[in-house]
Amino acid sequence: MIKQVLELLFGVDPELRQIIGVTLRMSVMSTLISALIGIPWGVAMGANQFKGKAIISRITNTLMGLPPVVAGLIVFLILSRSGPLGKLSLLYSVSAMVIAQVVLISPIIAGMTANIVSLRAPSINETCAGIGIFGWKRLWLTIKECRIPFVTTVLAGFGRSIAEVGAVQMVGGNIQFKTRVMTTAIMMQTNMGHFEMAVALGVVLLIISFVINSLVHRIQEQTQRDRTA
Amino acid sequence: MIVLRDVVQQYGGRVVLEIPELRFVPGRRYGLIGENGSGKTTLIRMLAGTSRPTSGRIEGLEGKKVGYLPQSPYAFSFSVLENVALALDGGRDAKEIARKALVVVGMESLMEARGDRLSGGEAQRMALARVLMRSYNVLLLDEPTSSTDVRSMDLIENTLREYVQKTQCTLIFSTHAPAQALRLADEVLYLEKGRLVEQGPAQALFHSPQDERTKAFLRHWSLNS
Repeated sequence: MIKQVLELLFGVDPELRQIIGVTLRMSVMSTLISALIGIPWGVAMGANQFKGKAIISRITNTLMGLPPVVAGLIVFLILSRSGPLGKLSLLYSVSAMVIAQVVLISPIIAGMTANIVSLRAPSINETCAGIGIFGWKRLWLTIKECRIPFVTTVLAGFGRSIAEVGAVQMVGGNIQFKTRVMTTAIMMQTNMGHFEMAVALGVVLLIISFVINSLVHRIQEQTQRDRTA
Repeated sequence: MIVLRDVVQQYGGRVVLEIPELRFVPGRRYGLIGENGSGKTTLIRMLAGTSRPTSGRIEGLEGKKVGYLPQSPYAFSFSVLENVALALDGGRDAKEIARKALVVVGMESLMEARGDRLSGGEAQRMALARVLMRSYNVLLLDEPTSSTDVRSMDLIENTLREYVQKTQCTLIFSTHAPAQALRLADEVLYLEKGRLVEQGPAQALFHSPQDERTKAFLRHWSLNS
């Protein structure tokens, strides 16, 4: 079996390459869109005190733990033919998978961002108020100071995206050469008894996960060094 | 004149500051002394506008330029020079003025160092240089020398004297070192458990305090210094 796995990994199996390609395309797209939504959302929560902040924080925390199948179900109902966006015919496409992942990942990025910002914002706000810096300039300085932890947040979002199975299975349909991604393919190949393909895909997933974790670890180490230097 | 009327500050139902009336005369230097938790920081933060009183009014700050140095000022991760120039909104001459301000506080050798890599004392001097880049009507300093050594403390006190003389601003500062209040302030205010116990000219308050609580505080301080 090991020989077959290696042949799949280093060979030119068109289906494996296609699955990896769709997975990366979906994960990169959904992470980027989630970052564009989640970071401003998290900064707004972490840097400011406003009426209703407590309830928004609670909703965000709830959404951070949203079960993937629930996210998949919501997006499925919205995109299904009888749903509000049914006319767009997006169901069982990579776009639908990206939408489902954005629903899942944006709150995670927002919640993590809010935590990061809320640690620094009180001190930055006081200091800026003392020298007459307010509004957008103060916000920009806060974002600039948090830029490195933001990268780890986005990488965590990517990690979540690439490993997700429930929601993408529901709205993507696991269609061969179209919406099949690594996680859904592993599940299917295992059910069919094609363990070589499942293991090969698992190895690729693990390698990607290891690279992401290494990057996060390196950034955190660098941040720690900067603080203690 | 800055006037506080019936000012109360509560956190979680606990009264941390209660001042029926307090006046700060323009151009004078006021030193706030008292134990930790006496309300010094709360009073300064309210005057700075970064904390609102639960009830009561603060009058006389409308339209005034107020500078404020918090107890733990933030040191941004860019260079010390850029940290200080920030106070002038990145104007063309900002860096040149910042350079001069850093020389005054003895930080000429650290201009290119990263702000977030400074020691506590260095960060405090940098933050002081930053706040003194502008001129104010009222300058509020919350324990400006809490992390500095004796040499830096002298330097900071001299810098502050010169600044106040030049700008004629009202200076209100808190300090953990009563001797500093004696050296820098025209008037000293002793706070205890969120209440103003005694206020008076620095020399008079230190040498002939009227209230028993002030006497006890000063006795304790002189025994330990």
